[in-house]
Amino acid sequence: MAGAAGLLAAGCARTADRPLQLWAMSYEGDYAPLLMPAFAQATGIAVEVQSLPWTASHEKLLTAFAGDAMPDVLMLPSEWVGEFAMIGALAPVPDPRLLAGLFEGTRAAGRYRGRDYAVPWSVAPQAQFYRRDLLAAAGFGRPPPAWAEWRAMGRALRRRRPDEWVFLMPLNWWDALFTFAGQTGAAMLRDRDTRGDFRSPAFGAALAFYASLYAEKLAPAMLSTELQDPFAAFAQGSFAIYPRSPAMLLDLKRRRAEIADNAWGVVRMPGPNGPGPASGISASLCVAAGTRRPDQAWALMRYLTDAPAELRFQHLIGSLPARRAAWTAPQMQAPVLRPFLDQMAQPARMPGVVEWERIRIEVQLVAERMVRGELSLPAAQAMMDRRADAILAKRRALLDTGLVA
Amino acid sequence: MTRQERAAWLFVAPVLAIILLVLVLPALLALALAVTDYSIYALADLSALRFIGLGNFTDLFGTPLFWRALGNTALFALFGVPMAIGSSLAAALLLDEATVRWKPLWRVVLFAPYVTSVVAAAVVWQFLLNTRFGLLNYGLGLIGIGPVDWLGNPRASIPAILIFVTWKIFGYNMIVFSAALSAVPHDLMEAARLDGASRWERFRHVTLPAIGPTLLLAAVMSVAGFVQLFAEPYVMTMGGPSQSTVTVLYFMFDEGFKWWNLGQASAVALILFAIILLLTVVQTRIGRRYEWL
Repeated sequence: MAGAAGLLAAGCARTADRPLQLWAMSYEGDYAPLLMPAFAQATGIAVEVQSLPWTASHEKLLTAFAGDAMPDVLMLPSEWVGEFAMIGALAPVPDPRLLAGLFEGTRAAGRYRGRDYAVPWSVAPQAQFYRRDLLAAAGFGRPPPAWAEWRAMGRALRRRRPDEWVFLMPLNWWDALFTFAGQTGAAMLRDRDTRGDFRSPAFGAALAFYASLYAEKLAPAMLSTELQDPFAAFAQGSFAIYPRSPAMLLDLKRRRAEIADNAWGVVRMPGPNGPGPASGISASLCVAAGTRRPDQAWALMRYLTDAPAELRFQHLIGSLPARRAAWTAPQMQAPVLRPFLDQMAQPARMPGVVEWERIRIEVQLVAERMVRGELSLPAAQAMMDRRADAILAKRRALLDTGLVA
Repeated sequence: MTRQERAAWLFVAPVLAIILLVLVLPALLALALAVTDYSIYALADLSALRFIGLGNFTDLFGTPLFWRALGNTALFALFGVPMAIGSSLAAALLLDEATVRWKPLWRVVLFAPYVTSVVAAAVVWQFLLNTRFGLLNYGLGLIGIGPVDWLGNPRASIPAILIFVTWKIFGYNMIVFSAALSAVPHDLMEAARLDGASRWERFRHVTLPAIGPTLLLAAVMSVAGFVQLFAEPYVMTMGGPSQSTVTVLYFMFDEGFKWWNLGQASAVALILFAIILLLTVVQTRIGRRYEWL
């Protein structure tokens, strides 16, 4: 016991002079260190940034919380905020000014039981990047905005170049399917979010359209593990359409030797009758409930989510500021950002239950089996509902006892 | 207790304490977890934790993915163990030949994959297994076999990973077999040769009995290793395509650490423990029959 207390004391002593810890995923994590010198100069607080890969961040954060090894400030996709707030990993936002002047709809995802736990940092709706040269050769100026014509364009491109693909949508990425589902207005969960609603006609229409792209060989039945470098595949013309977040702008800047600036363009994702809501990953910043230096953590939060830092980040990695004041800056008037700005006005609504992340992955797994011809459309929809119901069993039980709101 | 016994206990005590602390205690705790519905809600609030007896096990037996993971693991073990042991024994026999030169070099080269990092090797193998540009498909193309979608076809993914795993681990058993082969009595081999025994007969009746115990050890270790296959599918295919490479351990990792259903995951761990124990008992029985133990 005495030994344990000693260890704990030593741990505290060590954290006091340790730099503030910030964890962020992907490009945000890779490039956040570039924002830190200015912060250190202004406040004298040293920050250590750790970059997490998207594929392992959920388990790493949960394990860190269970093991009491959380960073002081962390980035979360807005869908995870409810989950981490529920387990008590996040500190509520103390200052309402942090949440003022935000982009419409971004704040709601950071609320849990009526309190705000996250400050929106960047918004990343999905749009489609397309190869101008390849489309022009097939007689298209830009991808058509409605599903049927979009698919017809795919057929035309495929006819011209039968050895290449059209749509870059690996079967383990859920964003394309959920964009289509958002556009048909599918609710996806029902009965106070305790059961799956994937048998609804709206979701069925989205799933059928999604699967048809693979059935017609416009998109390959591949996982991202097989496409070692999706950007290179797009740059080399193996794909003409690449649905992606604004992070693609960083790739296009960094690797402009591989693809000329006039060879690509970007427009909104197609919808059944023109563009509609699209899925995306919006990043929020949160302060861990267990931080030993809350004042410094909130200072870092204030700095990172302020318009100047968000604009600097936009310049570095392409992510779009969540702070509305940033959008009047000249750099935001670039034409390539226009589709994202339009899309941001129409985000897809995702259910706000802690199990959502898992349900989304399960649904994508079932969709993959359907694409591979193992399941029919109704069988796939039924299986999605079954799996969602099983995942939500605990939530149903807790709703009855009143432990969950 | 005699003085000597006391001294013996004193020497063993530190090790016993460590084993109790890091092996027996966690195992008992896992056993306790397996009969609760520990989930992410319990991480939030321990009052959401309930004792559910064998509920986790009945749940598991009703989960199609668990059965699929068991089936995949069985396939991996069924084909992987003979592949791994066969290739290491073959390599060891080749290296044991008197006519082979530069033996230390071959040993190092063949052992090298075993000590490389799984992740780095898997990345290289992803390139080798690439459908369009991969070396493996290029080679197959030369002998007129059409391109195989190794990591994208649910039927080809298990063979693809088996090839990689075999390449990765056969070096270890090869070294063990090499050591065992050097202990095969030379005079016995000479006598068999003089009596006119063929190559196969000499292998079957002289070499095999001599390396029997080593073979048993290699089999036990390989079975335990293949039943616990995780890193290779995790890195190469993330369990896909169509969850065709989800193994029991992968399933357990996802349940436990990704989704924090530790109750369910502990139940999987117990089942895995029972399976490995059972297989090992069967193997030692067989070993005893041949007097290898």
